[in-house]
Amino acid sequence: MTRILPKNRLDDCIAAWRSAGFSVLAPVRRSDLSRFEEVERSEDMALDLVLTERTIKDHFFPQTEPLIKYSIKKHDIDTQEMVPPERKRVFFGVRPCDASGLAIDDPLFGWDYRDEYWFKRRDNAVIVTIACTTSDDFCMCSSVNLSPDSTKGSDVMLRPLQNGSGWQVEALSDRGNALLGPISSILKEGSDATASTASVPVRFDVDKVMAWLADPASFESHFWKEISVRCIGCGSCTFLCPTCHCFDIQDEGDTYTGIRRKNWDSCSFPMFTMHTSGHNPRNTQSTRWRQRIMHKFNYYRGKFGVNSCSGCGRCTRQCPVDMGITETLQAITNLTK
Amino acid sequence: MIYNPFPMRVVSKREEAPGVRTLKLEFVRQEDHEFFKANYRTGMFGLYGIFGEGESTFCVASPETRKDYIECTFRQSGRVTTTLADADAGDIVTFRGPYGNRFPIEGFEGKNLLFIAGGIALPPTRSVIWSCLDQREKYGNVTIVYGARTVADLVYKHELEEWKHRDDVNLVLTVDPGGETPDWQDHVGFVPSILEKVAPSADNTIAVLCGPPIMIKFTLNALGKLGFNESNVYTTLENRMKCGVGKCGRCNVGSVYICKEGPVFTAAEVSAMPQCDL
Amino acid sequence: MGIQEQYRSEAAGLLSSGAVKLVIGFGEGSTVERRRPVFVRTPAETERLVLDGGCVANLSTYLLTEGLLSDGKSVAVFLKPDGIRSINILAAEAQLNPEQVVIFGFDIEEGQVRALEGRKASDFAPVIGVAKAAGLSAELQKEAELLDQISAAERFEYWKDQFSKCIKCYACRQVCPMCYCRRCIVDVNQPQWVNTSSHTLGNFEWNIVRAFHLAGRCVACGGCDRSCPVNIPLRLINHRMAKEVLDAFDYYAGECAEQKPVLATFRQDDPETFIL
Repeated sequence: MTRILPKNRLDDCIAAWRSAGFSVLAPVRRSDLSRFEEVERSEDMALDLVLTERTIKDHFFPQTEPLIKYSIKKHDIDTQEMVPPERKRVFFGVRPCDASGLAIDDPLFGWDYRDEYWFKRRDNAVIVTIACTTSDDFCMCSSVNLSPDSTKGSDVMLRPLQNGSGWQVEALSDRGNALLGPISSILKEGSDATASTASVPVRFDVDKVMAWLADPASFESHFWKEISVRCIGCGSCTFLCPTCHCFDIQDEGDTYTGIRRKNWDSCSFPMFTMHTSGHNPRNTQSTRWRQRIMHKFNYYRGKFGVNSCSGCGRCTRQCPVDMGITETLQAITNLTK
Repeated sequence: MIYNPFPMRVVSKREEAPGVRTLKLEFVRQEDHEFFKANYRTGMFGLYGIFGEGESTFCVASPETRKDYIECTFRQSGRVTTTLADADAGDIVTFRGPYGNRFPIEGFEGKNLLFIAGGIALPPTRSVIWSCLDQREKYGNVTIVYGARTVADLVYKHELEEWKHRDDVNLVLTVDPGGETPDWQDHVGFVPSILEKVAPSADNTIAVLCGPPIMIKFTLNALGKLGFNESNVYTTLENRMKCGVGKCGRCNVGSVYICKEGPVFTAAEVSAMPQCDL
Repeated sequence: MGIQEQYRSEAAGLLSSGAVKLVIGFGEGSTVERRRPVFVRTPAETERLVLDGGCVANLSTYLLTEGLLSDGKSVAVFLKPDGIRSINILAAEAQLNPEQVVIFGFDIEEGQVRALEGRKASDFAPVIGVAKAAGLSAELQKEAELLDQISAAERFEYWKDQFSKCIKCYACRQVCPMCYCRRCIVDVNQPQWVNTSSHTLGNFEWNIVRAFHLAGRCVACGGCDRSCPVNIPLRLINHRMAKEVLDAFDYYAGECAEQKPVLATFRQDDPETFIL
């Protein structure tokens, strides 16, 4: 016997969490874009999507985030730090890849200097993940040692029942357990079978990839030029990635007042590394694409023991020229055959 | 929180060379000063800023033996440095740091020191130089080889004068061919070739080398010829930075984050990095 | 022999004779439906070239890759009429020499590919003449008219909502053959003309600046619209701009390499109601 959340009680569930002080965010399709937004009713949720086009990263590391409000006087400045609200939030219907993405980025924002803009949101969020029963041609979680029902980064795991009437519920953390409190009367005991999880084929051999990337000779391989020749150098793969975390800091305002902001930035852009002198260590698209792959599957692991990819496949799914991590890592896998 | 800088008051500014200025900054708040005193060691860097324009990264040019203030020296080139260059005594600018690693100068004790700098890269070297000169008795012979494109481009001219007249410092100045003035008494030639003529023995000597990439490359060759072991040669690397604290993702050379694991590296460490990422 | 095979064999011939150094075409993509740009440098590799109804991208963008045409050698490229118009504009704006561009022209009608006669951009003048006579896309016009029917305030809300989705990934800019500025206005920071942040204001600034820069230059290839990862209907903005220049100046972008840029020329009979 396990606990079941019946689909037809979802509205009660949302109401219970809301009255317990939580905002409930779920996949929504609005203005021709799927993303996580606050919902009040289950009918607004788009739970049948393989994956939202935008990631939940947006709600922890927004595309533009005010850091400091400043006003400048003759011989003085007033500054006011803009602290993100500590709002209790439930993210309902997260996919395992997006949940894993948060866990992958935690050590980066936490090492040595703690980025409170991330953690004030992280610490007040409960991630309710729904295991995937469908996938598409771009999903690749199984290639990066994750799976359609990975629990990494999740506080509660929901596994869809075969009969479609609801989800089997499993709390994975204290936060997850606490979240089930307000809905304990909604949950029921049951032994219904769960639907089989999506079958996501392994698309590349990540161990071979990591070994090849770690070989110093690979850095200057001609491979990088060939594989990236059609890259147009936009930032969409990085901005839609659940783990990409690079940013810029910019001041915006007039001469006297304004806001210092933390804005997403992308290793695809030449300006990302351009020195004032004009020297650019990564001055071609191939060196920038190499940086992206190396960062994800070599450097990040060296620092934090984990690859910076959760296999969502968005990079390929929405690439204007059909590039992406999968193709590159497949090509590396084939190089080392 | 993490990205909030310290307000700093400009005490004075000095024209070092065409387009190059030094600002002397003092802390506005006592607690910021205490933090700096507790954490600053020579070689570390900071992000200097002006609200409304942004922040720019350079080393702390003042030594760890003088922590009442911060000096920074920079070339006016981009948006932030242009505005910083306009700051006058009494103005408020900002500082975030000190960040990064440092020169392990305790390990230099009892050894001869060879400082080599090119152009605008004297400031990071100068921080170590004074950190050592302020405890002169701990170190052996001190040689400073400093070169710039022209005589006018030499920075810290008043300190060069002071070092020149000290008995316990051997200062070697050079300017690139064509950069000399009629009354120039010192060397004419590029730093690597001058170095080969004037360098002390590599035995028991630590070299600290800062300069533009091209100079570093040729000077490392020269040091190799002189018998210096790569692990006894220290240098600093610079890259574009935004956060300074290992998060924003741009300053790495290969797997090495300059802001966290640097900016100070031994030549051996630099050799191990992918050279085309520099 | 189908058009795909015909073009493959001609491409192989051009490469083996040295007439072109590179062929930019389409190849199989990561799914059955997808087609991706491919770069073919040897006759043997022409086997990778695919030409079917999925080959919709405007590959002329790649001709502006830094240094590609600077050696004076020729490059062959697969282009639909919209792409050929891009070549004409780029030639008119002195961004490339059309003599260096060998065109494998094709068009797609109801999913079927049809070969277009010619090899040089100027050969396709009749095709472009027919396209101009047919007018702007009726389909887009219909979509645009829906927006015209609502009030200005509602329309503003509509675009505010759409632009609020923008993440400033600049896919629209990067995929566009007309966005060739070595340093885009958004990357200029002395002074900072355009806010870099992707909040609603910054997004308005970016998208409106881009729309104005494309007025009279966009060929409606739809590259930006298809590339937008957050599905902003950029086609509607560009369509509106194209309609304005057509109505006001009888100007159809990319008719020929001699066509003067609409916003950089003046005629006695230009409407000047905004001045008087």
